[in-house]
Amino acid sequence: MIKLYNYELSANCYKQRLFLSILGLDYEAITIEFFPGMEHKSEAFLEINPLGHIPVLDDDGFMVRDAHAILIYLAARYDPSGRWYPTGDPGLLAKTAQWLLFCEGTTSTASAARLHDSLHYDFDIDAVRAGAHRLFRVADEHLWFAEQEGYDWLVPTDHPTIADLALFPDVILSEEGGVSRQDYPALHRWTDRVKRIDGFTPMPGIFFAAPART
Amino acid sequence: MTWHPVASSADLTYRTTYHAQILGRELVAWRADDDAVNLWENRCLHRGSRLTLGINDGAELMCRYHGWRYANRTAGCTYIPAHPADAPARSVCNRTYPVAERYGLVWGSVEPQDSGQAGPPALDLLEAGDPTPLRPIVVNAPPAKVADALAGYRFQPSAAVTQRPGAAADWRSYRSPEGGWDVATVERDELRVTLRAADGDDETHLVAWVQPVDAHRSVIRGVLDARPPAPARLAVLRHHNHLLSRLRDRVEEQAALEPVPEPIQVEIVPVSVELSGMPELGAGRRAPLRVRVARKWSAAADVAGFELEPVGSPLPGFQAGAHIDLHLPNGLVRQYSLTNGPGESDCYRIGVKLEPESSGGSVCLHETVREGDVLAISAPRNNFTLSRASERTVLLAGGIGITPLLSMAQTLRQSGLAFEMHAFVRDRRFLPFGELVTSFGDAAVEHQGLSPQQTAEEIGRILGEHTLSAQLYVCGPAPMIEATIQVADELGWPEESVHFEYFANPTEIDDSTAFDVALARSGLTLRVEPAQTVLQALRAHDIDMPSSCEQGACGTCLASVLEGEILHQDVYLSRSERAAGDRMLTCVSRATSDRLVLDL
Repeated sequence: MIKLYNYELSANCYKQRLFLSILGLDYEAITIEFFPGMEHKSEAFLEINPLGHIPVLDDDGFMVRDAHAILIYLAARYDPSGRWYPTGDPGLLAKTAQWLLFCEGTTSTASAARLHDSLHYDFDIDAVRAGAHRLFRVADEHLWFAEQEGYDWLVPTDHPTIADLALFPDVILSEEGGVSRQDYPALHRWTDRVKRIDGFTPMPGIFFAAPART
Repeated sequence: MTWHPVASSADLTYRTTYHAQILGRELVAWRADDDAVNLWENRCLHRGSRLTLGINDGAELMCRYHGWRYANRTAGCTYIPAHPADAPARSVCNRTYPVAERYGLVWGSVEPQDSGQAGPPALDLLEAGDPTPLRPIVVNAPPAKVADALAGYRFQPSAAVTQRPGAAADWRSYRSPEGGWDVATVERDELRVTLRAADGDDETHLVAWVQPVDAHRSVIRGVLDARPPAPARLAVLRHHNHLLSRLRDRVEEQAALEPVPEPIQVEIVPVSVELSGMPELGAGRRAPLRVRVARKWSAAADVAGFELEPVGSPLPGFQAGAHIDLHLPNGLVRQYSLTNGPGESDCYRIGVKLEPESSGGSVCLHETVREGDVLAISAPRNNFTLSRASERTVLLAGGIGITPLLSMAQTLRQSGLAFEMHAFVRDRRFLPFGELVTSFGDAAVEHQGLSPQQTAEEIGRILGEHTLSAQLYVCGPAPMIEATIQVADELGWPEESVHFEYFANPTEIDDSTAFDVALARSGLTLRVEPAQTVLQALRAHDIDMPSSCEQGACGTCLASVLEGEILHQDVYLSRSERAAGDRMLTCVSRATSDRLVLDL
């Protein structure tokens, strides 16, 4: 049985719940009270992850930490189609990795702004918001041209990758950190497409999209 | 009226919402499935939530917060989940703004609608070719400053980007050839700049508008006069995106050195009290709308379908189950249910069954009224409201009684809610709007040629035991409705889950009595004489009272009763509503006591 050390409001934990749901995998969510209990810094949890952060995945004793590493593991282990993490194609694999690293940037900006506004974290709020806007501008431009070339996703292929799932939470929750998406219409359309992936599951603050054209 | 571009047409994709803004005013833009584009105030009338967070279901926009729904085109509120049984006043309407699509852009104006101007002024330059919008560029700077900078924008003609060897890969550069491109600013008109770049005979025009989002925020929306040839179309789009992004960076750098102007404060005008209450219909049966018969066709063996298009003002929104009064050339007034699906407000569609034995309404419509004729109608009114919160919805139709149920079925289908429709007809030829019924697939079942006894048995089999929140809607001939009510009661369906609408009141009306009616609010006592209705007595004393069918079937002239015993003679109220004795239909019902006190 897969176990996920999880906090319901964490964007990085949501990435895992979303992907597990899309892959149709059963799992047990073990709640780590991130706020206000700071349980991820507790002695007991530091045994599980000495870095003191969530999520952590325990797949029948195999432990892996860090949001994007877990996505890579789940894709490589449980997606027989090989499309979520396209290891078979060097170009697509590189682009997937590139956008996964881009998400480290949104975590330290858009996600940080959200922690500041909702969980009282001490960040330079103007700086992290400005950083989020810089990244959203880049992603919006990329996705606008992707649409022009006939692609729906971050990586130029006809199927979403784990990069789309990795970026989605920081984008869709950005307004909780005071980062408006009004100036990024291509990014908005892409969030609608992510919401229409089979097996999509929401979290507090994220809503379903209207169904796709049938 | 000043028009501003607010989006690219391509931004309004299938069933999405788009967050637009002009001069500080936030707007929601959305495209319905019939391709109509809506531009509204971005606030729900209920709690002020942004409607851009809502759901576009193709015909209505639903607020995410408490589920209020607003209709395509009119922005009229069609549904309030907290009051599923009550029709919201049809005048509860969100604020709409003028909107148009031209040159691949969506245009709007925040100034009052100016009749006769359906969109931004036409530009000869863009009328001829195949205008191609560029990627919009957001600039955090005042609109006038952005337009100033745009006047100095220089680019290569599309042919130069696409035809030079290796040019497609070289879209970043702006290089003048020997002697230079012939590039010029052709025209500057406040927030619009027209530019021309030429290389001998090859020339490209670019018209760029600056959308004034706010005091310190702008969007550059450029449109090329011609679509660049396919292989290098992207190179041209990237060429402009690259150069305009650099222009943006320069303008933003400059703007950052200057004080940032305060955001524009817009006034949000609350909906007036009159508009948020029930509509004032005034005394009598009014027919404020004019419609033209756009199409008349045979909708079944004995049913004529009529498509009524607006003359002058657009048609108001309506709810599933609503009916209109139709004023006929022979002076009669008849009620017909709208068969339209949700959000269809370009025309109303009704079905009229020929009843040769009746007083001549249907005969007039079948034989006299033709395509092109203009008729007067009332605004839609709904006394047969549909709940969208039930887990099981059964629609039972007898003959032409299918009309309000067709509207309900389309509404449920549009919202992705399940329903079961059962149509009882003599045979297939008598099934009204058969094509529409067929489109419901397995959800619609036809029952042909059953006797009254067999019909009642069949209804029993269909209904089964009542399950939590199941709702039944029935419309058809009086005996069928009576049988349904009885069968449902025997199977344990609670009365409030059984909704019915009669075409006509079969009751023999007793109007032989005389009594007093005291009006508590007006401080007036009237005498109702034999052969006179309460409604007539009220009107004789200039008391405002709306009415529609005036025979106790539609429920429009309902009044609250504070004291006195009521002689109910209508077919609108349910048994328990009658027993409660606190309301009556003033067109047919009377008093058994000497005196009634009404809350009027």
